[in-house]
Amino acid sequence: MVRITFNRLSVVRDPWSLSASGTFNEGVHLVNGDVGSGKSTLALMMAGLLPLSGGTIEREEITTTMLSLQFPELHVTGLSVAEECASWGVAPDEILDAIGLTGKEDASPLSLSRGELKRLHLACVLAQDYDLLLLDEPFSSLDCEEKVKLCAQIGQKTQGITIIFTHEQNILPRVKRIWEIVEGTLFDCGTPPDAFQHWRHVPPVIEKLIALGSPPDNISRDDFLEAVCRIQG
Amino acid sequence: MITAELLCYRNLVINALTIKPGITTIIGANGSGKTTFLKLCAGITIPDSGSLLIDDTPPRETEIGWVNEYPDRNILFVNVFDEIASPLRFRRTPCNVIDSKVRAGAEAVGITYLLKRAVRELSGGEKMLVSLAAALVHHPKVLVLDEYDSHLDARTMAKIEQGIRASGAKYIIRCTQQMDTAIHSDALLFFDSGRITHAGTPEFVFPFLKGTAYYPVFWGS
Repeated sequence: MVRITFNRLSVVRDPWSLSASGTFNEGVHLVNGDVGSGKSTLALMMAGLLPLSGGTIEREEITTTMLSLQFPELHVTGLSVAEECASWGVAPDEILDAIGLTGKEDASPLSLSRGELKRLHLACVLAQDYDLLLLDEPFSSLDCEEKVKLCAQIGQKTQGITIIFTHEQNILPRVKRIWEIVEGTLFDCGTPPDAFQHWRHVPPVIEKLIALGSPPDNISRDDFLEAVCRIQG
Repeated sequence: MITAELLCYRNLVINALTIKPGITTIIGANGSGKTTFLKLCAGITIPDSGSLLIDDTPPRETEIGWVNEYPDRNILFVNVFDEIASPLRFRRTPCNVIDSKVRAGAEAVGITYLLKRAVRELSGGEKMLVSLAAALVHHPKVLVLDEYDSHLDARTMAKIEQGIRASGAKYIIRCTQQMDTAIHSDALLFFDSGRITHAGTPEFVFPFLKGTAYYPVFWGS
């Protein structure tokens, strides 16, 4: 079973610091936190790209890791969209139609709009399976409909550990576990819907649904809409 | 008023549009023309044909504050203080005035603690706040914000919303994919394939979007 465990992990950049303990098992996890809370730092450390100030990270049966960075242009290596796909080991005709980029095979990836480039990058990432998939702000630059599609794709993942690091609170996939970074510490909120009691900055929509006596089962938009339907009868 | 008449730029076509003072929010899919329109409002690009005027003046002759969704594309200086001070220094503002205005600008978006930091050390959201402070520091008449909230959490947004409203900008034109932000607007413009298909107050526009991901979960409940 794939698993990644933090043992009193810490990183210090005086006066800022981050500490984390906990175990991420197979499934989709959400790591929520404010701007500058350390989400990207944690993702970099999990990917082994940033040295720890203290503690250890144990990786069990994790042989393939992928970190998708917040800004997709940082991943670009191909001079054309087709080259970019090939650099990820993906045939362009396998993904371009689904992301609306058919006909742009010869275009420079950097000439695409920001949403198009993010879709291209995510399609290349999600075309393969990884034991540990780290998605740093995957929803930034995507419009509402594309966010919903991405959530559906992430929701279809059946193996490996997928961790979404984001401040997004409105359009999210169903997740197995919710984590939150607050004041320099990673907290394990647990599994939804029980996690909502421990999620300090629970999304306003969930807060409102709970107040109305109809908490959602999970954190996807479908769960929210279903909870609204319950209220409306 | 901001007025557009027979405006064409690449695939964007707007036959007639009037934007009143206040907060106007643009929503729509990627590639629908939102950023193109914002760049025209900011004077970064000029129309292929037709006109866009701000109180009868071209955007390039108007004080504009511009924030790009990708702040790295606009940030010029190494340190946060210098970046926020840059619009004032370009105008040869006296140093003692610059110092106080930079601190006030940073305070308006809650980043005084970042003033001594190097920009490259900041998170994406923090860079966005630096760009916003730099856009606000010279008190523009028009503030143009291109998905500035896509890297910001809800609590930070709530804090800076107040700073934006208090900025004194007569026109605030922004695009967002957060409908919780869009509902707090004086006017909404919904863009689809280079055209404005719905325009009006949130109460007028959102009913047209029912059944889409743009429809707020609690709207009308």
